[in-house]
Amino acid sequence: MKNIITHAIVIGMLLLAPMHGAFAQTTEYKIRVDGLACPFCAFGIEKKFNKIDGVKFIDMDLDKGIVTVEADSVKLDDAQLKKLFQDAGFTYRGKQESVK
Amino acid sequence: MISSKRTKCPTPSRWLAAALTVNAITAQPALAAPITFNTALPVASGEFLARQQFIVNQSGDDPSGLNRDRMAKTSVTVLGYGASPKLALFGVIPYHDTSLSLTRPDGQRVTRSASGVGDITLFGRYTLLQHDEKGKNFRFAPFAGVVVPTGVDDKRDAIGVLPAAVQPGNGSWNPLFGVITTYQTLNYQIDAQLSHKIINTTNGFDAGDVTRLDASLQYRLWPRSLKGRVPGFLYGVLETNLIHQQKNAIGGASDPDSGGTRLFITPGIQYVTQRWIIETAIQIPVVQDLNGTALENDYIARISARFNF
Repeated sequence: MKNIITHAIVIGMLLLAPMHGAFAQTTEYKIRVDGLACPFCAFGIEKKFNKIDGVKFIDMDLDKGIVTVEADSVKLDDAQLKKLFQDAGFTYRGKQESVK
Repeated sequence: MISSKRTKCPTPSRWLAAALTVNAITAQPALAAPITFNTALPVASGEFLARQQFIVNQSGDDPSGLNRDRMAKTSVTVLGYGASPKLALFGVIPYHDTSLSLTRPDGQRVTRSASGVGDITLFGRYTLLQHDEKGKNFRFAPFAGVVVPTGVDDKRDAIGVLPAAVQPGNGSWNPLFGVITTYQTLNYQIDAQLSHKIINTTNGFDAGDVTRLDASLQYRLWPRSLKGRVPGFLYGVLETNLIHQQKNAIGGASDPDSGGTRLFITPGIQYVTQRWIIETAIQIPVVQDLNGTALENDYIARISARFNF
């Protein structure tokens, strides 16, 4: 009986394991921002993203006007991003997102 | 390119990347901004910034024959807060240490000096126009505020009450207003400011109102290319300051030996990272069209640092 229970637990864990990946998946956002011409100003963007739970990576390419954000367990939508960049002093233009 | 990592990184590679990017944060370039005026300082909504300046203002070219020599050393703390995306509030707190030496008619050389907190300036800036494009932006913002008479204006020494040129404070509430505009690209930034300060009468003394037109060009000298990560930006700065002050009035009578127009050319340099900036500049008077025997400036030297919280 003990063996049966142990086997059932092991099988159950194996079946649930792939779902862990689904819950913990990372989404990468490539965000186009206008007005981004100085990192001192851009520091405000970084601070605002850092306040969002689940955001774990921020990368800014000033030359291309692209902010790259990686986030777990949080969905960043257009309205939220528009306000975030407006508060930081910039203009949000759009985003592309992909699951990593 | 700027990047940062949150501390919650699930894999060793993420930790490595985090370590690299934390290094990048502390060493990344930042915005240049004018050195000789504070109205263009950028601050995001809900965020703070601070600027600490040390200024030495030397005046010693005296046409009066009294051989006057005035040295004013000032520490200026500027605090900024983004009240909203468009409204920024600033406080400017000076601490003065000023001395004035002159030769009296009897041939005796005297020095009179005073130090203390000066008059605090409070002002707000509202961004009226904002136009953003990829890698560039334009801002136009009026500002208005008031100089609060927090500094002592009736200090005395053994001779008597010190002259107004030495007192830490002015003693009156003085409104100021103006406009500031900024055009910024990845390679350079131009700022221009027009301002006017009304100086009211106190203790029978009315210092002349001040109108000034300031311009600043900050040009990125290094690195020349933005590809890849760089330790910081080095900006060459060239500013001009055209300052006109009306004549003072004492007891209602105009002082013919006061006021006039000064034009300064100000070369400077800035080293800029994402969280701090250090900068220095020297204001060199190239035109001093002053009234009567008003004391002329020799130079104004500035060194300052700025921090993002």
